[in-house]
Amino acid sequence: MPNVIIDNQEVDCRDGISVLQAALDNGRDVPHYCYHPGLSVVASCRLCLMEMKMPHPKTHEMGWAPKLIPSCQTIVRDGMEVRFNSDPVQANQKACMEFFLLNHPLDCPVCDQAGECHLQDYSYRFGRAESRMVDQKQVNPKKDIGPSTLLYQDRCVMCTRCVRFATEVAGTSELCIVNRGGRAEIDVFPGKPLDNPMQGNVVDICPVGCLLDKDFLFQRRVWELTGSPSICPGCDRGCAVRVDHADEKVYRLKPRYNPGVNDWWMCDEGRFGFKYIHDAKRITSPIVRRGLDVTTPDWRDVPDIIRFRFEQQVLEHGADKVAVVLSPFMACEEAWLLIKFIRGVAPEAALVMGPVPTEGKEQTFPVRSANSGASEADVRFTISAEKCPNRRGIEMLIGGAGGTTLSFDEFNEQSGAWSAVWMVGGYPKPWVDKATTKAVAKVNLLVLQDLLESDLVAAASIVLPACAWVERDGSFVNASGLIQPFERAINPPEGAKRDGQYLFELAGYEGLYSGERVRGLMAAELDSFAKIAEAPTAPAHAH
Amino acid sequence: MASFEPILLRNRGVENSTSLEVYASRGGYQAVRKVLQRSPADVIEEVKSANLRGRGGAGFPAGVKWSFLPKDRTRTLLCVNADESEPPTFCNRVLIETDPHQLIEGTIIAAYATQSQVAYVYMRGEFHEQFHILQKAIDEAYAAGYLGKNVFGSEFSVECYVHRGAGAYVCGEETGLIESLEGKRGWPRIKPPFPAVEGLFALPTVVNNVETLSCLPHIIERGADWFTGIGPAHSAGPKLFCVSGPVNKPGCYEGAMDITVRDLIERDDMGGGMMDGKEIRAVFPGGISMGVLTADEINMKLDFDDPRNFGLLGLGTAAAVVVDTDTDLRSVLRNIARFYGTESCGQCTQCREGTSWMNKIATRIAMGAGRVEDLDILLETARNMGMMPGLSICGLPDGATFPIETLVKKFRPELEAAILAQEPGRAEAVLNVLN
Repeated sequence: MPNVIIDNQEVDCRDGISVLQAALDNGRDVPHYCYHPGLSVVASCRLCLMEMKMPHPKTHEMGWAPKLIPSCQTIVRDGMEVRFNSDPVQANQKACMEFFLLNHPLDCPVCDQAGECHLQDYSYRFGRAESRMVDQKQVNPKKDIGPSTLLYQDRCVMCTRCVRFATEVAGTSELCIVNRGGRAEIDVFPGKPLDNPMQGNVVDICPVGCLLDKDFLFQRRVWELTGSPSICPGCDRGCAVRVDHADEKVYRLKPRYNPGVNDWWMCDEGRFGFKYIHDAKRITSPIVRRGLDVTTPDWRDVPDIIRFRFEQQVLEHGADKVAVVLSPFMACEEAWLLIKFIRGVAPEAALVMGPVPTEGKEQTFPVRSANSGASEADVRFTISAEKCPNRRGIEMLIGGAGGTTLSFDEFNEQSGAWSAVWMVGGYPKPWVDKATTKAVAKVNLLVLQDLLESDLVAAASIVLPACAWVERDGSFVNASGLIQPFERAINPPEGAKRDGQYLFELAGYEGLYSGERVRGLMAAELDSFAKIAEAPTAPAHAH
Repeated sequence: MASFEPILLRNRGVENSTSLEVYASRGGYQAVRKVLQRSPADVIEEVKSANLRGRGGAGFPAGVKWSFLPKDRTRTLLCVNADESEPPTFCNRVLIETDPHQLIEGTIIAAYATQSQVAYVYMRGEFHEQFHILQKAIDEAYAAGYLGKNVFGSEFSVECYVHRGAGAYVCGEETGLIESLEGKRGWPRIKPPFPAVEGLFALPTVVNNVETLSCLPHIIERGADWFTGIGPAHSAGPKLFCVSGPVNKPGCYEGAMDITVRDLIERDDMGGGMMDGKEIRAVFPGGISMGVLTADEINMKLDFDDPRNFGLLGLGTAAAVVVDTDTDLRSVLRNIARFYGTESCGQCTQCREGTSWMNKIATRIAMGAGRVEDLDILLETARNMGMMPGLSICGLPDGATFPIETLVKKFRPELEAAILAQEPGRAEAVLNVLN
């Protein structure tokens, strides 16, 4: 582990990283635009320059080198001494910030990036209050470069992060630089818009307000948003995301750094796939049917009603006539509580793995083409074909519980055999066909725990609103078997209650549900749930 | 003063000098035959002891450059830098136009010394005629077996291609040239790795200027001692000088590096003095990038070292442009600033923004709407760019700042007087229209 002296302070750092990364990891806010740990180094923004001690060419005595050196391009070596707090370094930062703002339109009041803009932050911290340029600004155009993204070239700092992302990570190379010098622009090729399944990342890595997400455009000022750490439920990769929300509404998802899982990236399917959580067709209150009588019970009475109705069925038809269909959209904790409840009232109840949605084929990035030069070994991001977050977690719990376990097909084949069925949905899209709906409608007691209205609602004896993942907390087990916890971002819609809470009560526990608390209970029974994987938190200045 | 016996330009004026037949009849392609009898290391030693400094502008010794190549390399590439884009400079053009086979012979010698398998001539996009001349000469050399497999019947093989650029100044920078040759945007690379280790197509690469390579046949033919005997020790060998502006005989002349700027302008066998009795106000002696001299400083020696004593960046391309007293220095300033404003590649912040800012300021000053404080901003901007303090990837911003900085510093009284003589309120009025 190399030991480097940064600004008179000894710092232990990882091998092979740049001095800039070492300084950032160490809590130093070194300004930088072009450097991104997930992209190649171009050393072109010239903001992160530092002073370094080097042996004098003649006397070999160590002293500060006369030139400034890019810290992003310099790899740490043991015993190296650098500084960022000297006059030449700071003078360069100041001059640079003035240069960056020369042609910038200063339209922060109407810019989406304002509030999370590194041009604002750095100008405030390292720049000067007023521009000395009195001449006309170079006005570069605003461009629509793809179905989801806008490019406001007038705000660009030419860090080329987006160009490198499209080439190195997405492998689709839609972006390029045209023109020279002060008229240089980021652009797409004629007739080839920025349209790849990962394009949204260019907006995330843009340090300024140049690349804009059409979906989020003018929706909300970013300082009004609260970010909650979460896991994307779009596929089984389990990308770490941040849910940005305000007033119980989710505005956008942003990827969180999660090494080995999604690194710095996320796909557009996950990024824009959250819209169903604010769907008007959400089920928002429990419903109990008794013949033609439909009531909306008080949540306090729900556990007793459900317990009583199940006990009744077990008494009349036997415990082996009970089945529970678990959804791969459930958190592990919720599924564990539900299994605990069902096996408590009906020890022989069948545990059914609900339908696992898949779409298309697995997609890997960078896209391999004749031009990209990428090989199979260079896969940097995967979008899975399995479009649910927690099949593995549910399978682990079903396997751990033992007893009768069935696949969804086997459950359907025996549809006449059941007297009481608890079906958990939570799918963002319709998930059972007409035949299954018709078959389960004949069951004496059908408890449906689901998110969106469907024909199943009419067939169910008891309907419980399920909550979207941003309204719950718990954990998902991803494709590599990592148990990744996620936190609640917003509250459930009025009338609904968090799945975890009512399942917690049904399973016989008192007090408030929390994923962490249930994980503690689970770990005592199941060794496999003892170890969870959490993404590291990155400091805000390391962007 | 005795006139210099031309070496590099010895075939200029000879009828049909671009043909292989004429070149060979005048002693051409003898040196390369000798070279192929010697070991590559021996040739490198010869060039090193001749102290052949690169003619492209930086003056780095060619032999030393070659010795940076890794010893265990299996493939090497040679790039011939014919992207002569420095304003007032046209010595490579003259060499290609009058004696393309001299360049080809030099290229084969350099390729042999560095054991390169392929030589790429990166030619400036605007060189139309010159391209056809060189291509014809290369075709002749191929037909004669001087290029291609087993040149001159030896074991050594070298292919030679001409690649035409699209007309960007920055592609004359060696790594910008390499990027452009690879089909990419001509953005200079960050170093290290240096081209000698990882250059064109990630292979060890040598980049040499046309004039540097053209010296090689003569060094081999007449020996390193003869070469070092020409001119001062630190700046040995023949050099081409260009002179343009209001002189009687603008053109490209050959000489040793012991002449002064005054010689270049005034000697009868060179510039032949000022036209129509005009007076010198300023001279840019090394291409515009190196900076400017006042009329009092033209006794500067045109060698690799003396320009530094006059606040210049270096010898550069040794192409002088003379500015007479009738010319408005504000338009000179503007012309320079505009060139770099359009030619900065846009990679590094300081250069991209600085050159276009200086262009705007200089344009406004030339419009008669300058402010005295603009001169200070020009100087400060110049200080905030460039490779000398490590602020850029390549040397382009140094070339952009030296002429502007030296012009503003050395001619500040004239510039200030011009600004103060402007129509009152003009600067404010123009700024109001602009903003």
